Amino acid sequence: MAMSDIAAPTVDVVILGAGAAGVAAAVVAARSGCRVTVIDNGPTPGGQYYRGAPPIDSEPSSGPRDLSYAELRAEFDRLTGSGVIDYRSRRTAYAISRHDDDFVIRLRGDDRHRGEIADFRARAVIVATGAFDRHLPFPGWELPGVMSGGGAQLLVKGSGVIPGQRAVVAGTGPFLLAVSGTLLEHGAHVPAIVEANNPSRFITRASAIRGGLSKSGEFLGYVSRLARHRVPYLHRHRVIEAIGVDRVEAVRIARVDADWRVVEGTDRVIECDALAIGYGFVAQTDLAGQLGAQMVLGADGGLVVDVDPNLSTSVPGLFAAGETTGVGGVEAARVEGLLAGASVADHLGRPPALTRRGLDVVRRDIATWQGFAEALHATFPVRDGWRDQVRDDTMMCRCEEVRAGQVREAIDDLGARDTRAVKLFTRAGMGWCQGRICSSAVDSLCGFGTTQSLGDAAVRPLVVPVPLGALANGQMEG
Amino acid sequence: MSRETSFTFDGAPMAAVEGQTIAAALIENGVMSWRTTRFGDRPRGLFCGIGVCFDCLITVNGEPNVRACLSAVEPGDDVRTQAGDGHV
Repeated sequence: MAMSDIAAPTVDVVILGAGAAGVAAAVVAARSGCRVTVIDNGPTPGGQYYRGAPPIDSEPSSGPRDLSYAELRAEFDRLTGSGVIDYRSRRTAYAISRHDDDFVIRLRGDDRHRGEIADFRARAVIVATGAFDRHLPFPGWELPGVMSGGGAQLLVKGSGVIPGQRAVVAGTGPFLLAVSGTLLEHGAHVPAIVEANNPSRFITRASAIRGGLSKSGEFLGYVSRLARHRVPYLHRHRVIEAIGVDRVEAVRIARVDADWRVVEGTDRVIECDALAIGYGFVAQTDLAGQLGAQMVLGADGGLVVDVDPNLSTSVPGLFAAGETTGVGGVEAARVEGLLAGASVADHLGRPPALTRRGLDVVRRDIATWQGFAEALHATFPVRDGWRDQVRDDTMMCRCEEVRAGQVREAIDDLGARDTRAVKLFTRAGMGWCQGRICSSAVDSLCGFGTTQSLGDAAVRPLVVPVPLGALANGQMEG
Repeated sequence: MSRETSFTFDGAPMAAVEGQTIAAALIENGVMSWRTTRFGDRPRGLFCGIGVCFDCLITVNGEPNVRACLSAVEPGDDVRTQAGDGHV
């Protein structure tokens, strides 16, 4: 079937993702008169941050009040109700391509409706697909009961279920405090928060930023709540092993130095029935990558979509907002969404929805939150010492069950010089998740760390599996 | 406000709240793993929790490879442990 035969409904803008960035972008683009379709994996708008939570106005709102998340979400719901925004929940864009000057976006239903596929044509696209927890493999991390911090958070916020009665929270970054807070609120006992870095500098760094004071205040609020619950907040400690037979029963922790090398003789065991862990976040760049958009390394060393000051990618008509352009948190995502919505309207020749002054405020806020993200990544980096705790029998790729010894062999004996070569030799990154969980860790274990190595490992022609039968039927209909 | 519903896991009846994911309902019922791996035959359950890692795959009403972390329980679902890729 020739591409020109594709008969799909054409809209002005397709926005991929309905988190803070996607919601903000949709509202601004719709205010300019664009016909907007929003594609969302989730059951309701809000993304990972606002999942299951009522949209209350909690932002340290800099800028006009009608641009706070709560206001934007209310307007998003009104525009969806009146049909100006076409909101498609529980849908995944599994592929995207260029066709003449348009984009063709291919959608699939959720896992219980994965045979339901549809195509959209759009004149412009905004990628606002967010991020997921970064993992650094360690012995036992594949045991049931070990889960990502984001997963534990969603389990509680989305379904009201705690992952265990005694849940250790570990990794790095202020997100650990948010996860612990949620777990405590819902009745779990948190025996310890195990932070690999020293967070004390975060307060001075964040307070130095205009508008950052509210974030350090939020951080201190979390810390005092933990103190009330008598939860030890350990600094410069790591979980070096999850212990258990068929599920996690305990974790071994140890003190680490500034490079995350274990201080001999400091290890001890904490009993638990769950471990929520994460070392920052990895941006979801798949769809922008399919279009060949240029990538760059973010402030945290992870792969992100390269954008200009208007959030335009290297592909004309393709914009990116939120965590996909650099992991910076929910406020950064919201203000980038506002700018992306304004930029896409301008690209399509529509009248501006934000005043010049409003746009200035948005740009200033983006700069503020970028500064905040830099303070965050400077305080909570990933240090090389994590590799020392990876034994040869430690699982690297959970899908293909590839162990670290095989990865090291690919480097030392087979001469692999990038993560893609390691994948071809070992199958690490070739499974169901297509390397989302392991490839940044494999890359770091091998010490590559380049845009090329990370970028080649993140090429995913299909974002999620699609039944061949559905594809065949779809083509016959076309 | 939230309504109770029920499903079965490997034939055993279990309670859930409407709108809960299959993963959440299983964990609430004390079940931490519902898949065994293709090579090592090792138990797996919820890991990333947001649809990225595919570790929580499960068989629902005969259909394998459903992500338990994203899929809501529907009344009367016949949910079963998935061995390997789920294709016998």
